[in-house]
Order: sequence, then structure tokens, then C-alpha cells
Amino acid sequence: MTTPANARRKLAAPTVAMLPRTADSLSFLYLDLVRVQQDDTGVCAVVTTEARGTETVYLPTAALSCVLLGPGTSITTRALATLARHGTTVVATGAGGVRTYSATVPSSLSTRWLETQAHAWADPHEHLAVARRMYEHRFGHGTVPSGTSLEKLRGLEGQRMKALYKLLAQQHRIGRFKRIYDPAAWDQQDPVNLALSSANTCLYGIVHAAIISMGCTPALGFVHSGNQQSFIYDIADLYKTELTIPLAFTLHNASHPEQAARRSFREGLRLFRLMPRIVTDVQRLLAPEATDDQTDDLQEELVDLWDPVTGSVPGGINHAYDGGQ
Amino acid sequence: MASMIALSLTAVPDHLRGALTRWLLEVTPELYVGTVSAKVRDELWKTVANSTGNGIAVLIYPADNEQGFAIRMSGQRRRHLRDFDGLTLVSFNSALPTEEADNETAKHS
Repeated sequence: MTTPANARRKLAAPTVAMLPRTADSLSFLYLDLVRVQQDDTGVCAVVTTEARGTETVYLPTAALSCVLLGPGTSITTRALATLARHGTTVVATGAGGVRTYSATVPSSLSTRWLETQAHAWADPHEHLAVARRMYEHRFGHGTVPSGTSLEKLRGLEGQRMKALYKLLAQQHRIGRFKRIYDPAAWDQQDPVNLALSSANTCLYGIVHAAIISMGCTPALGFVHSGNQQSFIYDIADLYKTELTIPLAFTLHNASHPEQAARRSFREGLRLFRLMPRIVTDVQRLLAPEATDDQTDDLQEELVDLWDPVTGSVPGGINHAYDGGQ
Repeated sequence: MASMIALSLTAVPDHLRGALTRWLLEVTPELYVGTVSAKVRDELWKTVANSTGNGIAVLIYPADNEQGFAIRMSGQRRRHLRDFDGLTLVSFNSALPTEEADNETAKHS
């Protein structure tokens, strides 16, 4: 039954079925030096330039998975609320998406994957298994002998990265390359480091958005730990050698490596179709034996009550015993 | 490989509207849809963009990018395409004279 009034309400507060799945939405939008506000119809960015004066740009909130807000941006709570309602992650970043400061979480998420993540994280045996699977994912399946210690895996990973840097530096003829990440001396860095940091932050934004849209927490990592973004770093590391590092080396002559990195990275995203891949990879890492249900998307679930024996009992009803006072 | 195109016109000369019906369907006044090859599309667009008079023409067609479509615009208008690191959004400038006012001057029966 869709009446005009009903339809109007649905437009204001879209149901889950009306929103694109994480895997289908546009990857990210980076804004700086604008004001983001909600007018009576939608969320718009007010852009003021000398050439064109003041213009408004409406943002396709429901179709975006992640909005990166750079410096000089102000946003109203109404606009933030609309973005949250549409399941869009809003990430506060430094200039050019250099650093990620914070992000918002939509509140209507299923907790299934969060619970899986917390189970795996809290069980030492399972925690180690997930960490090992992450390294295996990077090296390729079946390349790591079972029983290899985590310390050994870290060593192997370090060697792998060094070899990759050396190979790419030779390919692009840029002599010696040393990875430096120093936000304090940002402008003095070589283009490759700038492009790499910029692309990595985009990658973190996407991964952050994917993790949050699954309902997982970015804070409980398996290889990294002790940081609110640990899990993001874990997952992002799976794709760096394929995405951001080769890209950064191709930009060693770019005049604006950061912008160029973001631009080509977006094209890269389409090629690699990263969003759906992140979601399936996270699911496989956390629960390899779970059935692949790609339809598992954000669902507005009613609250259940936890029970040590039966698992969960329906909430929202009174469980008083018959005859009880 | 033919693909769908959508063409929206505002206040264009009548001869253009008539000519377009040979390639496309006019679904509502000045909104056209059809399926043509990329070559035909480009030729059509060249012709349309050069004969809008005081009006506006907007062409939308599928493209192999993240958004899944590309947009082309021609004519005097208040909306412009803006590129956000590869994502195309539309900016609206409210300081310029209104499109509606333009339509009043360029009305046709």
C-alpha cells in the first residue's frame, strides 16, 4: 500500500530496500573548503569560488558510501543525520585526505558480523588463526607452511615489502626509495611518498566505510592492535601491494601527486571493484566456514535478549512467568 | 555496440525537435530516449549542441565509469558539471537569471 503520504515519509526516511548495497554504491567523495548543509530537499555543499561566486552542489547521499571531509569544511547536524540515515560514513580527514581523524556510524545496523568479530578477537586461538589468514591472504594461499609463528610471518612480510619497493623503484628508475610518513614535514616529501600517503588514506576511508557498513568495529584488529583504526589497517594492508603502492610509483613525476593519486585511485577502484571484495574478504577472514550469503546486508533488526542457553530470545515483550507477581 | 541515450532539451527551435524524432522517441515534450551506436550519438550531439539557439541541451548515456553514465551539456544555463576527483556532480548557481525566465522569452507553441 503506497499512499502519497506514505511515499513522502519513505522519501524522508528511506527503508533498507531503497538504499544501494555497500557493494553497489559510489566509493567516496572528498570535499574541502565548503559548507555542507541540509536545505528543505536534500544535502548540499555550498561552494564559493572567485570565478563563479557561490554555487550549491547536491550530494547523492544515498548512493555514496563514504564522504571525506577535509579542512575548511563545516557541516550541519541535520546534514550529518541525513548522511547517517542513508548509511553513509562521514570521515573527517586532513588536507587531501592525508589522515583520518574520526568517522560516524549509522545506527540501524545488524550486529551479526560485529559479534563474529568480537568472538574471534576475544578467543586467543581464533585470534591467531585470523591473523595468520590475513598474512596468507597477502602471500597467496598455500604459500605459508602451517604452524609458522606470527613473528616469522611479520619478518616475511617485511622482506616482501622491501623487495616490492626495490622492484618498483628500478622499474620507474628513481634510484633508492625509502617509505617516509611524516605529517610534520608533509611538503618536503618526494611525490611517491605523497601519492602513497594520499592513496592509502583513501583506501582507509573505503575500508572504514566497508567495515562500518557491515556493522564491524574498526577498533578490534588482529595484526594491528591498540588503535581505534586497527582493523582498518589490517584489511587495508591486504590491498596495498596491488593498489596503492604500484599507483604511487607511477606518479613519481606528477606535479600534484596527491590529487592525481585520488583520481587514478578512483579509476582503480572501478577496476578492482574493491567495495564488494572488502566485504567478502572480511567475511572470509572472520568466518571462513560460514556460508557465503552476499545478500547479508544492513537490516533493521529488532533487539533480542541474550540467553546463555538458547542464544537469543525475542525482545520487546514481557517475559514475566505466568502466576508471577 | 548500441546503447541507450536520453536527451533533454529546453526551449530549442522546433525544427530540431522534429528532426530528432527520426532517431529518438519524444516521451514528453523535449525529452527524448532511444538506442543508438556511439558514433551516431556523437554525431547527433554535435548537431544538437550547435542548433540549440537560446535553449539548453543535456545528453546522458551509459559509460564505463564509477557512476555508470556520462553527461554532456550545451547552451546557456545555471547548472554546471563539476568534477570531484573523478566523481561528476552538478553545481547550481542561483545568482544568475533563472532558466524559467529564459523559457518565457523563448516560448514556442
